[in-house]
Amino acid sequence: MRLRLWRRASRLHAMDGFQKVLLLLMIVLSVFMLLPIVYIFNHAFKPYHELFVYPPTFFVKEPVLQNWNELVAVTARSTVPMVRYLFNSVFISGLAVLLVTAASALCAYPLAKHRFPGYKLVFAAIILTLMFAPEVVQIPRYLVVSQLGIMNTYFGHLLPLMAMPIGVFLLKQFMDQIPNALLEAARIDGANEFTVFLRIVIPVCKPAVATIAILAFQSSWGNTESSALFMMDEEMKSFAFYLSTLTNNLANNVAMQGAAAVAALILFVPNLIVFVILQGKVIATMAHSGIK
Amino acid sequence: MNLAKLRITSATTRRKLEGSLFIAPWAIGFLVFVAFPLAYSLYMSFQQVRITATGINTTPVGLLYYREILFADGGLLYDDLVPFLREAVLMIPIILIFSLLTAILLNVRFGGRMIFRVIFFLPVIFASGQIIQEFIAQGEGQLIILQGSQLERILSDYVPRSWGEPLRSILGSFVLVLWSSGVQILIFLAGRQTIPASVYEAARIDGADPWSTFWKITLPGLSPFLLLNLIYTVVDLFTFPSNPIISKVTTENYGVSSALAWIYFMIVLLFLGLALLLYRRASRSMGIGAIR
Repeated sequence: MRLRLWRRASRLHAMDGFQKVLLLLMIVLSVFMLLPIVYIFNHAFKPYHELFVYPPTFFVKEPVLQNWNELVAVTARSTVPMVRYLFNSVFISGLAVLLVTAASALCAYPLAKHRFPGYKLVFAAIILTLMFAPEVVQIPRYLVVSQLGIMNTYFGHLLPLMAMPIGVFLLKQFMDQIPNALLEAARIDGANEFTVFLRIVIPVCKPAVATIAILAFQSSWGNTESSALFMMDEEMKSFAFYLSTLTNNLANNVAMQGAAAVAALILFVPNLIVFVILQGKVIATMAHSGIK
Repeated sequence: MNLAKLRITSATTRRKLEGSLFIAPWAIGFLVFVAFPLAYSLYMSFQQVRITATGINTTPVGLLYYREILFADGGLLYDDLVPFLREAVLMIPIILIFSLLTAILLNVRFGGRMIFRVIFFLPVIFASGQIIQEFIAQGEGQLIILQGSQLERILSDYVPRSWGEPLRSILGSFVLVLWSSGVQILIFLAGRQTIPASVYEAARIDGADPWSTFWKITLPGLSPFLLLNLIYTVVDLFTFPSNPIISKVTTENYGVSSALAWIYFMIVLLFLGLALLLYRRASRSMGIGAIR
């Protein structure tokens, strides 16, 4: 223990002035970066009189479990067991991450590396649709989903998520940077397009792919829209939707704030877990992604 | 001979088929859930829409809603749009420069670099979520939450009042900048690593100082990623769910909402076009892109 401390201290000494300043700056900046997480964790344990303090505080002064009890009490009253909502959300988000990432990458590859006729048109369409807020298309989407007959099915949750323009856009820009010689070499060695895609393009673009996976998980995990619009049966709705109904339906705004704070934390934690799992791929592979 | 010809055509059709297969899953989702709904909403913006129990009734009203929004009622568009645009003009360059500098610093070798990379990438998981929205909702573009913190007290105690006020507002917006530059930092970091170390070594041998190395090597090398980040930032800022104009797009009066959404879309498009034009100008005058 002492040895390790000593070694760390010596490492600090070994840094030059510039590195020390840099370290200090980074520490200050990362404190700000971490604030929202500190806030959300503390918020869930605040007693009622602290929840409504203005301006809000980051740290809880007298932590209590009262909010958790409140949430448990409310969920005990619901007609459908909470596990069912949880299962729906996990199932949908898991599939959504796989499908969205795969579909985006598959689409981005020909756009970046095969200048097929009309690729400019396709890419322009993608960039244009990036600029639309999803709220605009709610009603037409409802019509499409009901016409397709996928109301009340898992397809209704999944399919509208599939077309994520930002995914294709980010991946295409990354794939543009892969040297053609790398792909040519693989083709000469007898790899077909799919092998090139799977063995070379995807590993080289891993940071972007993992970023898309994180974004896809977030958008599907926190999605309440498809449950509200496309799902009639209570058993088909998502966990995020369920938690949001706990607090939205009440006339009294104050009543369920404690449970809402806990619900926000519960909704946030999976995001954090997925992030922790995937960020390793994002950050570690950047160093030796093999470009050039 | 016939056989050979057949084989050639089958090879090219195979290639084409393969390419279409790559794009197909995404393209179908895109057409059904993005392109068609958008076209439908454009159609609806010229209609008066009434949603009844039996279905949707529409009566054509021509350009009425567009005229209403653009010329008659400033409350719907201009009151929120002008301050928002002003903020965006300030925010976008700051986000870009900040994330560029941070990425370069994160590329420097120092203790705990990996941990800092993770922390700076962290905002990705809460930037689009509810937490930030809650923070922003408490103050207009600033963070009320900082008022209760120690930092605020230090500022008011040790800094003269005339300086404290602007400092505070800059600090508030700065935290927002920090929180909305996660993906951008990552993109720059990945981009920075595509520049081979040998180029820097060659520059050092030739006696280039760090200043000119940055302008002549790092910045031109990052220019494709700069463009990517520019587009990403504009899109991210303008389609943020708490954006004042998007929050007015509701399903209640769908005709007006659609018209508003399309007008807003045109404005965003114009804004992006201007930004790209400026970028191209600046990059040409600085000689960025000369390497690639």
